Amino acid sequence: MAIASDRPRIYESSRVPSPIPTVLQVPEELRGSEDLLQVNFGPNHPSTHGVLRLIVDLHGENVVGLEAVIGYLHTGFEKNMEQKTWWKAITYPERIDYLSFQNNELVFVLAIEKLLGLEVPEKATWMRTCLCELNRIHSHLVWLGTAALELGAISMFWYCFRERDSVLDLYEMVCGARMHTRYFQAGGLAEDIPRGFFPEARKFVDWMPKAVDDYERLVDQNEIWLERTKGLGLLSAEDAIALGQSGPVLRGSGVDWDLRRAQPYLAYEQLDFRVPTYPNGDVWDRYKVHMDEMRESTRIVAQCLDRLEGMEGQPWIADDRKVVLPPREELHTSMESLIHHFKIVTEGYRVPEGEVYVALESARGELGCYVVSDGGPKPWRVKFRAPSFVALEATATCMTDALVADLIAIVGSLDTVMGEVDR
Amino acid sequence: MARGNPIDSVKGFGVTFKQIFKKPITQQYPEYKRPVYPRFRGRHRLHVHENGLEKCVGCSLCAAACPADCIRVVAAENTADNRVSAGERYARIYEINMSRCIFCGYCELACPFDAITLGNEYEISEYSRDDLIYTKDMLLAEPIKKVPVADRDLYDTPIPYYQEHS
Amino acid sequence: MTDPWWISLIKAFLIINLLLLLFAYMTWVERKVLARMQLRYGPNRVGPFGLLQPIADLIKLIRKESFFPASAVDVLYIAAPVFSSFTALAAFSVIPFGPGWHIWKWNVSGEVANLPIALVVIFALSSLGIYGFIVGGWASDSKYALLGSMRTCAQMVSYEVSLTFAVLGVVLMGQSLSLVDIVQKQASTFWFFGPQFVGLVVFFVAGVAETNRPPFDLPEADTELVAGYHTEYSGMRFGLFQMGEYVNMITLSALAVTLFFGGWYGPWAPLGPLWFLLKLFVILFLFLWLRATLPRLRYDQLMRVGWKVLLPAATINAVVTAALVVAL
Repeated sequence: MAIASDRPRIYESSRVPSPIPTVLQVPEELRGSEDLLQVNFGPNHPSTHGVLRLIVDLHGENVVGLEAVIGYLHTGFEKNMEQKTWWKAITYPERIDYLSFQNNELVFVLAIEKLLGLEVPEKATWMRTCLCELNRIHSHLVWLGTAALELGAISMFWYCFRERDSVLDLYEMVCGARMHTRYFQAGGLAEDIPRGFFPEARKFVDWMPKAVDDYERLVDQNEIWLERTKGLGLLSAEDAIALGQSGPVLRGSGVDWDLRRAQPYLAYEQLDFRVPTYPNGDVWDRYKVHMDEMRESTRIVAQCLDRLEGMEGQPWIADDRKVVLPPREELHTSMESLIHHFKIVTEGYRVPEGEVYVALESARGELGCYVVSDGGPKPWRVKFRAPSFVALEATATCMTDALVADLIAIVGSLDTVMGEVDR
Repeated sequence: MARGNPIDSVKGFGVTFKQIFKKPITQQYPEYKRPVYPRFRGRHRLHVHENGLEKCVGCSLCAAACPADCIRVVAAENTADNRVSAGERYARIYEINMSRCIFCGYCELACPFDAITLGNEYEISEYSRDDLIYTKDMLLAEPIKKVPVADRDLYDTPIPYYQEHS
Repeated sequence: MTDPWWISLIKAFLIINLLLLLFAYMTWVERKVLARMQLRYGPNRVGPFGLLQPIADLIKLIRKESFFPASAVDVLYIAAPVFSSFTALAAFSVIPFGPGWHIWKWNVSGEVANLPIALVVIFALSSLGIYGFIVGGWASDSKYALLGSMRTCAQMVSYEVSLTFAVLGVVLMGQSLSLVDIVQKQASTFWFFGPQFVGLVVFFVAGVAETNRPPFDLPEADTELVAGYHTEYSGMRFGLFQMGEYVNMITLSALAVTLFFGGWYGPWAPLGPLWFLLKLFVILFLFLWLRATLPRLRYDQLMRVGWKVLLPAATINAVVTAALVVAL
């Protein structure tokens, strides 16, 4: 990890609260004071993303104590996946982080493929890259819209959702569902890319930078927006690393670290893109990272489209009869195909014994998937390293000298998705 | 603390003002239904052969494929005087619990006889959970509500075999 | 020249009803304008262009169960919204909206009550109205409402000062506290928005804060305090709070028209109340535009703007105006 040596010092020494790094304890002199007001922000509150519950101790308008209570959205995804065959389990991860669903699906599929040692056709790799970047844009748009809404800039929400809708339209066209697509299968893609995808995606790619300009025009120079975001929710590079942060939170703290570049997966090695980094570690810098990443992702999508357009007619899924469902037309003609089909659907394909950890850069940071296989048709253990969960751990550190209004802005800037935190 | 230029602060007002003259993006839903793309996975349908026999042979492969376990199939033997499907057996009971279904489309991938497909209809809300358990008769019948579908040729190529022949 | 008491009564009745109608359709206009700025249609289901929406809202609010927190202080809890809407409605009575007319053998003036101290009355009533918000939030015995009340208290009190100082310049130039006199003075000389531009800006900003409108809507900041002081209110009690807020907004806009834009006089064509309404709507549109564009301020920033920017500006403006008025 490259921490720029000439970066400004955000604050002296560490601010991570001790002994519990995730709990901001009320200072000794205020404890038991009558002026303290303990307020529950959540689990139902207009601004807590999903069902995050924050128990906040207020001294006037100042936040002096903070504790996050999670678990309201626990659904037991990981345990559920152990009861399903590998093939069926693919439908689960995308529901964990419902905003960057495609990245979640990809990480599990990549883990299966790594265990199987499966080769993926080039077309599938590029299409996966393309969809994952679209997904990143989608996730960032939702973040920007809701974060701005929380600061009171209500119009931004609608502008962001206009572009978000075009991304979802693309997903609907290609994958058959607007979210939770199960389009990535072990070995490649579930279906070929429709012809109509390219013109529509091009339209989006041409439009998106203008839309980002519009967002920036709305808030970038706005005095109130600057006041509300600059110098707030400070997180130094050292603290960010100590707390295991990743993604926009880490890059907003001045650490130049992106898994897409540090350990390239998919087609990222052949792509030209910039990793935005900002040195000040405040809400503003996190916002800027998100904005820049949207632009970069648009560029990546454009590059992917260039490549994909030349790949018409190429296979979109590996030809491995033990893992991949045989082509539909063969079911009526080939007995062997039919048997493979039955085996894969009922019993599921077997994955060699072993354990594997695959990590990729989702919209929120390092999304990891640790899978253990006992050689059977079902995963023995699945564990996700959720970037939102880790980001939430930084809440207490960021909350030094914050007011109630800042609390909302800071929690918003960490970009947590509760589905992923609780899993 | 870096300050914004006061003139630039005003830019935002232009952004909001200019939208007044644009056409709203809201779709007036019940009156206007945006055509869904042909691949869109909506309400399930069971199909019959041209001669009136059901395609489903009650093999329960769809039930096995379902990640949400929302399909229930009970098979029975076809007899000479009660011939329902083209195969040896038929689905005596075929139920889909739509409140559990996650619309992943694995059932249509799994079905070797192209008997079940996911249609494009998305207006499947009901007032009661009981009404969301779709029986075989409901699945065999034409959907009551239809939705427009975008150009199949452009947005769904190549047409999968099973959709072409079902 | 004062009207017979029964003419005043009829006028008061008419004005209150017109004001309520204006409030009802202000909500409609707000939703429509905001919607168009956000690429939406806004209400368009109830009646043509959603024009019956305010009536539907009214029926809904009246029929809704008025939830009552068990630990609320009941008399104050119920009195607060009534009080705040009463003061808001009463304040409008001194705003002149027309030149006055001859109807048969009576002279009918263009305001409900022409008081020599009209401006003072308006500020007094709006200061009293604050108690409705503060008491309502305190009486509902909820932490969010209490925080909202505290913010209301601090915000309203500090912005009231700037608001009052901002109009001092106008009072000095008009040499009267009577709104009718100020309008007549503007008609015979020039509209005051030019020479009193600083006063106008301070007045508008402080007015936005005074009426709890975004970007100064801290007392009811929905993403922080759920709904601020009226968190625990529902049904028509909530409706009364809303009414108080909107009527305050209309009154302040009307005051701005009266003090800075020549009241019912237009640049041409003596249309009287129509000019007044037109100018009123332009100012109300500004309120909506602010809401659509700006993020919310933070508590300490709000205080800073109020005490360190607006108040000095208003004071200097008043002093300079006074000096110029004496000198010329």
